[in-house]
Amino acid sequence: MPNASKSLLSYGVPALVLVAAIAVFPSLAPNPYILSSGVIVLNWAVLATAWNFVGGFTGYISLGHGALAGLGGYATGLLITKADLPSFVALIAAAVLVAALAVPIGFAALRVRGASFVIVSIALVLILLLVFQSWSSLTGGSRGLVVPRPFPGMLRPEHHRVFFFLYGGLLLIALATWWLLDRSRFGMGLKAIREDEDKAESLGTPTFAYKLTVFVISAAFTALAGGLYALWFGDLDPVFQFSVLTGSYVVLMALLGGVRNLYGPVLGAIVVGIALEYFKVEFGNTPLHLVTTGLLLGLVVMFMPDGVIPSLTTLVQRLRKREDSSIREMSAADLAEQRREREAANS
Amino acid sequence: MLVFQSVILGLLLGGLYALLAAGLTLYFGIMRVVMIAHSAFLILAAYLAWWTNERLGIDPLLSLVVTVPLFFGAGVLLQRGLLSRLRPATLTMMSVLITFAIALIIEGLLGYAFSGTQRRIQLGYGTASFDLFGARVAVVKLIAFGLAVVSLAGLYLLMKRTQFGWALRATIQHQDAARLVGIDTERTAGFGFGLGLATAAVGGTALSLDTTIYPSLHWHWIGPLMAIIVVGGLGSVPGAAAAALVLGLAQSLLQIPMGATWAQTVFYVALFATLAVRPQGFFGGRLAQRF
Repeated sequence: MPNASKSLLSYGVPALVLVAAIAVFPSLAPNPYILSSGVIVLNWAVLATAWNFVGGFTGYISLGHGALAGLGGYATGLLITKADLPSFVALIAAAVLVAALAVPIGFAALRVRGASFVIVSIALVLILLLVFQSWSSLTGGSRGLVVPRPFPGMLRPEHHRVFFFLYGGLLLIALATWWLLDRSRFGMGLKAIREDEDKAESLGTPTFAYKLTVFVISAAFTALAGGLYALWFGDLDPVFQFSVLTGSYVVLMALLGGVRNLYGPVLGAIVVGIALEYFKVEFGNTPLHLVTTGLLLGLVVMFMPDGVIPSLTTLVQRLRKREDSSIREMSAADLAEQRREREAANS
Repeated sequence: MLVFQSVILGLLLGGLYALLAAGLTLYFGIMRVVMIAHSAFLILAAYLAWWTNERLGIDPLLSLVVTVPLFFGAGVLLQRGLLSRLRPATLTMMSVLITFAIALIIEGLLGYAFSGTQRRIQLGYGTASFDLFGARVAVVKLIAFGLAVVSLAGLYLLMKRTQFGWALRATIQHQDAARLVGIDTERTAGFGFGLGLATAAVGGTALSLDTTIYPSLHWHWIGPLMAIIVVGGLGSVPGAAAAALVLGLAQSLLQIPMGATWAQTVFYVALFATLAVRPQGFFGGRLAQRF
């Protein structure tokens, strides 16, 4: 079974490495600052993976996932402070709320193809920023919203450690869900939408329902990440929660790592997330952040729209075998090989 | 009287929206590209006008002599150098990302060069206004409106009366057919983008006359502009103009009961409502179906 060993190699081994890395990082981190950076990077990893439910499967690119995370954070915070719910009940309730809200948003955004989705996703960020800044009686406006800590009395490093593991768990659940969808009939339909929506529809795939469903799943995971962030960080400000930059960082991470690969967004999140933290320490908050992000995004889109992992694999393959590259996942030679094996087994 | 005043102001604002939306419609018509950076170029032009006034001490309107050809060239370069090199299969999504990246770069560079401080042009005639049937109309607003109307009219004449305009419209209508009758569609598409970006140069200069500008201001423009082209129905310049006037008027009128911040939401409400009820837009042409 060459396929099984291949899938074990490309899914199983990275999964083990990831689990091990999540398990040992908190004890290896030399100081609480590094640990908190780890939490931030994991937050990005969850956001990028959640984004990839829509971006990777259907090819619809959302620049507004930052807004969904912000909504998740604010919903969690408001449910705790205004409705007196326990922290983690509020987190789940917030994710359900955001998922419910994603239905009408997705309905408007996905009814027609292509660009309107991007437009709606950007508009979502802008309108939510406007609303959350102006409606200060509910949200605290620009003064921010203080979210009570879920574990009062816990020391700062311990707090980081707990949230690191919470984020790690959420990331693994998100990855497992993506992996399951990838292998399901539903996932097949979604990928058919990405490749050719007209053909998918004419073959009987309920494209609109599929797109909407996966958008809602993606929104729920994004909201969970945003809610966890609210519980961890404890202070929300509309300018940061509903920033267009959040969404563009997520897109950059997913594209850089590769949207067709399970671990692509995680890899992108680790690279870009660490770079972001590093730049914040070295250069502070300057407008050059925007320039760097823009340049990187432009370079990725122009030169490796499939991401680093596929680009590197093809490079390695070309160096090793000098094979002709092909857009098909299996080349004609592979298929002939399979047929020979089948015939050999039958005879 | 307040209402009449708002109607006048709304129409004047709508004129500017219409000019900018015309540029966006052009891009979409030519390549099915949603150009996020349009409003970033708008703010860039406004900054250049402000800088002309501040450093050289001449009228900001004179900056048009430089910015219009400059932006035209930038538009041609953008189309030839970046957008036409993207893979056709993923063009719509990737072009959004690339123009988004350009918007971020422009915003960052503006912030770096001029800092985040809010800037405003001080003009001798900046506070002058006159009476129109009881409504006070600022002269600068009228100049901005005049600029928009003149450019729109020029654009219209160019599209309808010149050979280049015919070639451009043919390219928009059916690229392959246009190529068959001997039109160099690639060059025409490049010039079309230049033309679209030139509207941002004119719009930015008009905007700088009576608006306080700062680097991230373009996000306040791209949302409304996107809403306008969606409500108007893509591919139709008259549709965009009509939607621009209606929404500009609505924003201006809603400012009376709701205040300036909440009045902005009218664009987003219109955007969501249009997509949910009538995705092809209210004045939409054939192109809108493919949006």
